[in-house]
Amino acid sequence: MSPLLEIENLRVEFGRTSAVRGISLKVAPGETHCLVGESGCGKSVTSLAVMNLLARGAQRRADRLAFKGEDLLGLPERAMARLRGNAMAMIFQEPMTSLNPAYTIGSQMTEVLRRHKGASQRVATERAADLLARVGITAPGMRLGQFPHQLSGGLRQRVMIAMALMCDPQLLIADEPTTALDVTVQAQILRLLAGLQRDLGLGLLLITHDLGIVARVATRVSVMYAGEIVESAPTAELFANPSHPYTQGLLRCVPVPGKVRRDEPLGSIPGTVPRIGAGFTGCAFRDRCDFADASCAVAVPHQRAGATHDYLCRLAPQSARTAA
Amino acid sequence: MSAPAIEVLQVHKTFATGGGRVVAVDDVSFAIPAGGVLGVVGESGCGKSTMARLILGLLAPDSGEVKVEGQAVSGMDRKARARLIQPVFQDPFSSLNPLARVKDIVAMPLVAQGTFGRAEIGRRVDELLARVGLSAEMGRRLPAELSGGQRQRVAIARALVLRPRIVVCDEPTSALDVSVQAQILNLLAELRRDLGLTYLFISHNLAVVEHVASEVAVMYLGRIVERGSTDALFARPEHPYTKALLASVLTPEPGLGVPDVGLGDALPDPANMPPGCRFHPRCPVAEARCASESPPLRKRANGGAECWLA
Repeated sequence: MSPLLEIENLRVEFGRTSAVRGISLKVAPGETHCLVGESGCGKSVTSLAVMNLLARGAQRRADRLAFKGEDLLGLPERAMARLRGNAMAMIFQEPMTSLNPAYTIGSQMTEVLRRHKGASQRVATERAADLLARVGITAPGMRLGQFPHQLSGGLRQRVMIAMALMCDPQLLIADEPTTALDVTVQAQILRLLAGLQRDLGLGLLLITHDLGIVARVATRVSVMYAGEIVESAPTAELFANPSHPYTQGLLRCVPVPGKVRRDEPLGSIPGTVPRIGAGFTGCAFRDRCDFADASCAVAVPHQRAGATHDYLCRLAPQSARTAA
Repeated sequence: MSAPAIEVLQVHKTFATGGGRVVAVDDVSFAIPAGGVLGVVGESGCGKSTMARLILGLLAPDSGEVKVEGQAVSGMDRKARARLIQPVFQDPFSSLNPLARVKDIVAMPLVAQGTFGRAEIGRRVDELLARVGLSAEMGRRLPAELSGGQRQRVAIARALVLRPRIVVCDEPTSALDVSVQAQILNLLAELRRDLGLTYLFISHNLAVVEHVASEVAVMYLGRIVERGSTDALFARPEHPYTKALLASVLTPEPGLGVPDVGLGDALPDPANMPPGCRFHPRCPVAEARCASESPPLRKRANGGAECWLA
């Protein structure tokens, strides 16, 4: 199947700082592609760049950026606005700040459908109530008349998801959709997204820092560090054979229930993420890496650990390292 | 036997809101022995942060008593209390004065005591900064010039500069990235071992609590519904709510999918307490009596569960 979203060599700069440095990825229909990394690695900027919602002054360049084969780079803003919230929708991280506090849930949800599809208020209201019920909200009619501040964090996040689904999107970009939620509600929302994906075949680009979520929902994982995708592989393969030292470090940092040794320290990655300015060469992770040598300051080879498993490091793939 | 580090006796706390009184902490009792770590878990609104504030003496209970090293917190002088018990809060972005240099932030508790000379303050601040892994150069910076992990190190240094016996950690790593979270958890564990500290450790992250705590209390709508040693509680949870919480933890194991927690959509509302067992509207195994009669505590070693079916 041809991909829904194609990103090739995407670069985003804010003045002299490079936030995204040449990343490439694809999302196919029905696929969940997880973009994982820590604060400041460029994962949210990537999603905003795809939606053309970057702050003024940001420079976006790419060899290719396409939705269902249609080029987005040269698309005028009017045409982009017709796609956004329609065939490609986004769920933002903070439901507190991305819902308008001055309008009811109903008026914000129906606006999307009236605007994009020219639906009547009655049809749009029916659709909104239907979607609120599908995301597990009881008494949707009552909720439509409420303002965001009258809803709990979990309910607001579900409203955001329902709103993103108003126009039957084919591609959904979700930026940390469950980070602000309790674990119990998080599990409910992720099940809901998986169900919608199965029923509607939508492609999902899921941005998260939580490796537990990645393991449970992703089809494919791309690990971002300092603006680059340093490793990308199918989920089971990435967890079984992480080949980039950063991916390995991240996996060691996560406390796993039932496998806890309280007297032993957790694995951790010393140091902090560097700021990447103009003229930076070599591997951005080298100052925090146990395996770095002089060559890492010059260039980073792009290697393959399998047919669909790529990583940026001079070291041999993990499978070869353990065999040796 | 010496007095427990923290002793909470039948504490009640309610808040007045526009919609009536909200019960935040409802008849809670527990004790933490000196050198122990009690992890407190539960969803937002369960009363765990109110519990922290009651223990720190920042809030007064409506009834009941909080004792720290055998003394009632309510009757204690502020300065004496500060020498005994200190907090580390969740958000290092809002809990540090943005206009003060790191050195001055860490020195503040010493200055407030009014009994330390300038040389002694300088020496202790340098010692603490080094202890939490910050260079002397960092001491001259402003909070905005630090990363999230460095800021949390500053907050820990400030909490320890008076050499307290007890530290209340309220979601100390929730705002941090996983790699930084691991650094801070390791630091807290090391400090506890070296300085013989007692921790009350509040977190919504069960994996983190399992890693740091020797005992765990599970809170639901203002009550501790289950309590036990960490190993027993994680291996053999008895309360259906504890089971649901544990089931919703997403471990990094591919292929398992997202579990069905089975709690339904009825979210807890502290302003509208259900009769009987307060968990029954969400409980997957509730019976008729759960809706009318409060369940007793079924005791077992180091704790027990408040459930008719446990």
